[in-house]
Amino acid sequence: MADLTKDESRYLAYKLNREPNKIEKEIVAAEWSEHCSYKSSKRFIKMLPSKGKHVIVGPGYDAAVLDVGDGYVITVHIQSHNHPSAVDPYGGAATGVGGVIRDIISTGTRPIALLDALRFAPLHEENNEDGSSTSEWLLRHVVRGIGDYGNCIGVPTVAGEIEFDPSFINYCLVDVASIGFGRRDSIVRNRANYDDLIILVGGPTGRDGIHGAAFASKTYLHHNRSAVQIPDPFLEKLLIEAITEAVEEGAIKALKDLGGGGLSCCLSEMSDSLGKGFDIELREVHVKEKGMSPLELMLSESQERMLIITDHLKIDNIRRIFDKYELKYVILGKIKDHHNLVIRCNEKIVANMPSTIVANAPLARRYSKRPAYLTTLRLDFTPPVTPSNLTGVLLSMLSNPTIASKDWIYRQYDHEVGLRTMLKPGEADASVLRLNNGKFISVKLDGNSKQCYIDPYHGTLGCLSEACRNVACTGAFPIGIIDHLQFGSPENPEVFWSFRKAVNAINNYCKFMKIPVVGGKVSFYNETSKGPIKPTPVIGAIGLIEEKRLITQSSLKDGNAIFIVGTTANEIGGSEYYEYVHHITGGNVAKVDMNIDRLNLRSILQLIDKNVVSCVHDCSKGGVAVAISEMAILGGVGFNVFIDKIPNSCSNIDSLLFSESHSRYVIGTKEPKTVEKILSGIEGLVFSRICDAYKEKVTFKMKSKILIDTDLPAITTNFKRLEQIMTR
Amino acid sequence: MRKSNLADFLVLVTIENKPFVSDPEGETILRDLVVKGGYSNIKSVRSTKNLKMIITAKSKSVAEESVRKMCKDLRIFNPVISNCTVKAMLGNANSTTK
Repeated sequence: MADLTKDESRYLAYKLNREPNKIEKEIVAAEWSEHCSYKSSKRFIKMLPSKGKHVIVGPGYDAAVLDVGDGYVITVHIQSHNHPSAVDPYGGAATGVGGVIRDIISTGTRPIALLDALRFAPLHEENNEDGSSTSEWLLRHVVRGIGDYGNCIGVPTVAGEIEFDPSFINYCLVDVASIGFGRRDSIVRNRANYDDLIILVGGPTGRDGIHGAAFASKTYLHHNRSAVQIPDPFLEKLLIEAITEAVEEGAIKALKDLGGGGLSCCLSEMSDSLGKGFDIELREVHVKEKGMSPLELMLSESQERMLIITDHLKIDNIRRIFDKYELKYVILGKIKDHHNLVIRCNEKIVANMPSTIVANAPLARRYSKRPAYLTTLRLDFTPPVTPSNLTGVLLSMLSNPTIASKDWIYRQYDHEVGLRTMLKPGEADASVLRLNNGKFISVKLDGNSKQCYIDPYHGTLGCLSEACRNVACTGAFPIGIIDHLQFGSPENPEVFWSFRKAVNAINNYCKFMKIPVVGGKVSFYNETSKGPIKPTPVIGAIGLIEEKRLITQSSLKDGNAIFIVGTTANEIGGSEYYEYVHHITGGNVAKVDMNIDRLNLRSILQLIDKNVVSCVHDCSKGGVAVAISEMAILGGVGFNVFIDKIPNSCSNIDSLLFSESHSRYVIGTKEPKTVEKILSGIEGLVFSRICDAYKEKVTFKMKSKILIDTDLPAITTNFKRLEQIMTR
Repeated sequence: MRKSNLADFLVLVTIENKPFVSDPEGETILRDLVVKGGYSNIKSVRSTKNLKMIITAKSKSVAEESVRKMCKDLRIFNPVISNCTVKAMLGNANSTTK
């Protein structure tokens, strides 16, 4: 059961000026849970810059609304479904998709794309007594859950990101983001007047998922909880169509998705944000099973339900549309001229509280303390000897599931339905979608729990830089950032310290780059039997591409000259090379110099604008050796890199090849002279021509000595490792 | 050579959502096929997944126990959301078809 702390109970009684009854207490407990109230994070999240010329609606609503010109908008939202996915990966991941889609519908726009960022324990980790791998089982069913749901409702899953790390043992992080598209003038404005009607539409309310929000706000300990939700994508599809039609007819005055906390949270938040009182009759709720108590009706998290406000003039439109789609709907109550949330059951009042009290939890005071592990990490660390067989190291890096091709995953997704997908997953650094006004948006999610563990501040800066680099590589200028901050318990001062560092990083980066943070979520209490997960902020970048000719992919063409922009330093802490090859956790995490980051990003966009590059790829996980190999595999060509030409300050060869320094890009071009001329004209820019793409040989040379000697078929085969594991 | 005390058993494995967990497939069949088709006296439909297995074992209880263990080990069902019932009978798959 969700519980209020002693202080919260006292505060509630003080605010109400009386003792709340049992039902009122439970409604407030659901709304004041960390999951719904953001009571630990609110005061920090509020500092993030959220204004920008494209921002129409910023953070704090169901989804952010961004202006893309010509009367059109895109909407964007991100959320996770970590706890439910860890107990029921298929249903948990699928209902996560359903929830984020309904947040997009809530703005009155149509969902056009899904993205997912997933985290599991390493696949070879034999973490069950019987020898079977939980992470393999979780990955398989999470992917199927996302794919099935997205495919059934006709929304393409266009991009994603995946990381394997031992801190996610017997657990997983499932982050889903969705993009919506619509006309600016049809956005639901969320307003209401006296006597307007409050309607509940969608699936029946059952006992499933009761206390889900509270479940997500408690440390994950018990597997066998009834807080599981069963997805019904076909019902969601009907909701999308019916609501889109009702929005077009102007029949919806306000709209909200029922998510965590069920009716309790939805009604109190909506009543508070509209500044209007609600009078609700629970007898009207259409139920799955008989004999549900008022409390169960208020807390149920049954899926595929939405709350709508309409008026007496438009109620016939609502009836006609919902009847046509055979959607069940009921009039739950009316808008009143007071400011209370009044809940009745068979006319008897069971709860009556001012909505503003319910919807605004007292903020929790959390202490923060620098984690003790950060001190010991550095002490334990000794740099490894450079391996003699660097060819073997490169092949092993490419077969590392975090780096290897994600073909096995996105093959299970319909990534083209809707006909907006310009670049397929894997073809470029970010996904590019066509809009109706001749413009395009580019979107990508990025995270790096390994680096955020060793250095939460610089690790988070790195995720921001990487997400922006990825959209820039496709020719887009970043216009908005979304963040999903996933941590252990905020009551643990060490966890909270990392959380604050991550928020600081987002604040500093976005203010410096002048990119607004348009939306986000915080997910605390992500803990396994081994303790808190590694700090995992996932960052999403949304970029705008003004013209079709600017869209750039990342596959290398035969005959391309290859340039690198940016400097490679000894920044190998938390890199895939240390963690995957040497099993070392520690060392220097790559740091972002924001001046250089901005200069390099602008230079890349300038090159793309001048039409002189064939392909651009961001240099991140696995370093420059992996980045060039990925471009070569995609383009089906070989290359011959002169290592000494890579601008660097590295002390040894392995860090030069695999360091994950930020702000670096690899470029392929047919016009090396023009590129060189443009880049030399940019003051302070570090770049170098490092090789040419040709034939099938893959070599890295130091002066005349060949250090890595392999070929295209070998790197391509190793890159398919994830598929080999999942189909063995 | 098979020992004489071993026999073939047909084992029927039924996997269904737990009673408190909803079943969109069953609900859709009831609503859109059964009731609309005029059979309004039918009150509930629940979908299940059935597997028939033939196993050589010493006894009915041994057959059921080893299939139950296999379903659990290989995660043929998710114990959080589903119930799995295992029932063994003498004979083989053909003997159940009339």
